[in-house]
Amino acid sequence: MLKTASSTAPNDERLFFWVAVVLATVFGAGGFIIVFALNHHEATAGIKLDHPRQLVNFALTDRTGRTVTRAELEGKILVVDFLFTSCGLTCPEVNRRMAEIQQRTAGRPDVRLVSLTVDPRTDTPAALMKYGARFGADANRWLLLTGDKAVLYQLIGTSFLAQDADDPFSNMPGNFLHTERIAVVDARGQVQAYFDGLRPETTGEVVAEIARLRK
Amino acid sequence: MAAGCKPEKPAPVAEHPAAKIYDARGIVRKISPDRRMATIQHEAIPGYMGAMTMDFTVKETNELNGISPDDEITFQLGVTESDDWIQDLRFVSHHIGEVTGNVFVFHASTEELKVGDTLPDAELTAEDGRQIHFSDYRGSAVAFTFFFTSCPLPEFCPRMNKNFSEARKILLADPDAPANWELLSISFDPGFDTPQMLAGYANFYRGADTNRWLFAVASTNTLAELAPKVDLHFWHENGSISHNLRTVVLDANGKISRQFDGNDWTPQELASAIRDAAKIPAR
Repeated sequence: MLKTASSTAPNDERLFFWVAVVLATVFGAGGFIIVFALNHHEATAGIKLDHPRQLVNFALTDRTGRTVTRAELEGKILVVDFLFTSCGLTCPEVNRRMAEIQQRTAGRPDVRLVSLTVDPRTDTPAALMKYGARFGADANRWLLLTGDKAVLYQLIGTSFLAQDADDPFSNMPGNFLHTERIAVVDARGQVQAYFDGLRPETTGEVVAEIARLRK
Repeated sequence: MAAGCKPEKPAPVAEHPAAKIYDARGIVRKISPDRRMATIQHEAIPGYMGAMTMDFTVKETNELNGISPDDEITFQLGVTESDDWIQDLRFVSHHIGEVTGNVFVFHASTEELKVGDTLPDAELTAEDGRQIHFSDYRGSAVAFTFFFTSCPLPEFCPRMNKNFSEARKILLADPDAPANWELLSISFDPGFDTPQMLAGYANFYRGADTNRWLFAVASTNTLAELAPKVDLHFWHENGSISHNLRTVVLDANGKISRQFDGNDWTPQELASAIRDAAKIPAR
């Protein structure tokens, strides 16, 4: 589902280091420690958002046919990806990442994984049930959601992914950009950062992001 | 696109012996007051140029009737050494998205057809090079699916054609099967899947006997109209094509009788859907 793969990972670490060194020489080691503490708290290894995005209200259906709304996810840190079950090229790779994240966040009741389909006509609850089983998705922790196409596209377009207004002829569902991304949403419903779901390093970075958001 | 009611295409080859004609699709951004010039944001024109917005000379200005800025159209670009123009302009849809602030707002397309709807006619190029139409199949049930020959993943396009092969065997072996049914596999990769390519691929899945099963390729223009109607999505990425899977059964009147989405269906289910569709009497 990859559409454009360019990603600019922010690399503020070096800048912070030199700011800390300068402050340390002026104010002593205290400045060094303070800046590093701030940096540690604020830096995300993820890709920054195009503009602030908030999780909007929605009502969708999970793989058991149950209705899931935003209210159910209130107060949880969410790890969100985008898939369709007929996708053979990139989605399986992204969902292997999701499975790894599920494993690495086991025993954390405040984390939910959410997969949103972009092909709801194919991806019925039954199809998502099979797909979830393929990746060992724990029904209590990893929601695979389908539903009305307009609701799904509105949710994805508003809360998560940019749409390519310059290329309205792509037959890609919803014309979404970067569907290979995994998004992390904080407990207040604020989307914090994206991670490239095709990179193996993403698993560790998402786990670190979750730890950062808990602070 | 309906056979019979389709205006004859202009014959640019006769007027311009060296003219090259390219199929294209775009959104009309502006029409000049004298209607001789249209500014069109167009997608890549394979073999000619990439996606861009530019002004084109409109050959037959009356083809702009009913077309306004922000409409999506298909058209042909004619090019000679000294001249270029657009012709055969056809309205596809009012553009379905709009940019509001930073957010591209998606409007659910109303074009997607349901069971019971009539599929508008469309032209395809068959493996033997002939132009064929859905309307050619009136009187018979026809099941069609989509694929591309370089599809690398066994559980997707090859599975569709294997299921077609099995369903064909089931129906051919069934003495009680109706006589009026056909299968059609349609490629959405017109840049690569020439009739020769299709014939070779067909030979592998079907054998040389074309009885009741044809392979064909849809042009960019045909796909622009057909894909949204059957909710088919496909796009180029990583040197291949990502796509979903759509299989449709039409009854003898060209109405959608059954749709199979994805790959989780069996040849038996398809054969049975074809039997049901073939029973519906032709008007």
